[in-house]
Amino acid sequence: MIQRIYALLMRYQNIAFGSFPRLLSIFYWPTVQILFWGFFTNFFMSNGEFGVWSALNIILSAVVLWDVLFRGQLGLTMSFFEELWSRNLPNLFITPLKDIEIVIGLILTSFLRTLLGITPAIFFANFFFNFHLFNLGFFLIFFFFNLIIVGWSVGFVVSGLVLRFGHAFEELAWAIIFMILPFSCVYYPLDSLPNTLQWVANILPTVHIFESMRSILIDNEIINSRILIIITLNSFYLFCSIIFFLNMIKVSRKKGLLFNQGE
Amino acid sequence: MINSSVKTVKLSKQYESTFVLKNISFELPESGLFGILGRNGAGKTTLLAMLMGLVTPSNGQIYIFNKSIDLKKYEILKEINFQSPYVELPKKMTVIQNLIFYSRLYGVLNYNLRIEELSNDLRIKDLLNKNYGTLSSGQKTRVNLVKALLNNPRLLLLDEPTASLDVLTSDFIREYLINFQRKNKSTILITSHNLIEIEKMCSHLIILDEGNIFFKGKLKSLMKENNYSSLKDFFLKNK
Repeated sequence: MIQRIYALLMRYQNIAFGSFPRLLSIFYWPTVQILFWGFFTNFFMSNGEFGVWSALNIILSAVVLWDVLFRGQLGLTMSFFEELWSRNLPNLFITPLKDIEIVIGLILTSFLRTLLGITPAIFFANFFFNFHLFNLGFFLIFFFFNLIIVGWSVGFVVSGLVLRFGHAFEELAWAIIFMILPFSCVYYPLDSLPNTLQWVANILPTVHIFESMRSILIDNEIINSRILIIITLNSFYLFCSIIFFLNMIKVSRKKGLLFNQGE
Repeated sequence: MINSSVKTVKLSKQYESTFVLKNISFELPESGLFGILGRNGAGKTTLLAMLMGLVTPSNGQIYIFNKSIDLKKYEILKEINFQSPYVELPKKMTVIQNLIFYSRLYGVLNYNLRIEELSNDLRIKDLLNKNYGTLSSGQKTRVNLVKALLNNPRLLLLDEPTASLDVLTSDFIREYLINFQRKNKSTILITSHNLIEIEKMCSHLIILDEGNIFFKGKLKSLMKENNYSSLKDFFLKNK
């Protein structure tokens, strides 16, 4: 019996410690949780003047908008992973379908999936919590598109890595968004982060999106410089991620990986 | 210019320090059934994958219907198709959804008619509304073959086309492919470990051995000139 249990232990240990992304997934959750709730508590401890309803409104807006990013990324990666899991990639890549058409198809699918997933959440929040996401007006659409674009950028990088390095990198599809969560200042302002981390956070478009959201909901103020930064960073990251994904397809062709992918 | 369906010039594929194919050159005429044989690891699948643009050659050129695959890839891909038991269709979609999806990718006009025609021919009508993932291996093979014929390919690449099929269905599929080739004057390239199948279907052969072409030419010539009684006899005598 001990021998058999030991065999099982060895098997699961090999799975868990056999690849870097899987190893990372064991450690990142506790770290991310501690960082996130630490910054969040700090912010509310030092900002007691917020009313409960205002705070709730800001948090709910942040929850919904953050989910746009998460759904956008998952919508893209899961659609692509379906092809891998189905062992369908060779069939797909021998049709006259161009690589860039795959990119466009994934973007549109992700957009529709996100829209479909997020709409009921907004209405439920509105109904139960007197939620005012629509106070963001035109900027709601602007933030929606920019967050979904962040999701696509992350999604293309993850899909490219899985195509090139195999299924172990699928863990990243679930983990990567939560790795950037503490630095994205979703539920607390940028000032809540230590100075060194603020520098890292500033290169993330998410920080500028959530800072803008708060400045509209709290101060009713639009900071144009932030809007410009959001557009610039997002355009740059999306462009780079698509180039990366297309390049990973090219490398996979060179290495003969398109033929051997599957569950 | 001779009308060739497939032409390779000094084609090589190297993965790090391992050569899978070494400078192979051959030319196949348009129309006919051709077999690619070789032991495991001889380079058959890599060769097929390179002909479809799935694997990039390390060196050499590939021409399909006298067009370079480097320059006219998407034009060429409209005219070829492929079937393998090791490559599947999306499992969560029904057979008909899969066939419509691929018809659209290939730009098949009147695809409903085409799917109906092929479904009747290959006896998969009762499978059309089933999820692909629930089919048996034999059923999947027939559905994959329908997918491979959707665009009426001028060049059809088949990897073990009758794998997982019972004897009667295998015979039926072989007959169907032979008739399809004659009717459409298409080129069919088959890799198989079923030597009897190759003997029954193919007039010409390419035999690969450790990435080199060991033999290319007519099956009859190979047998006659070397006094082999069958392809099995050939492989047994050339271990």
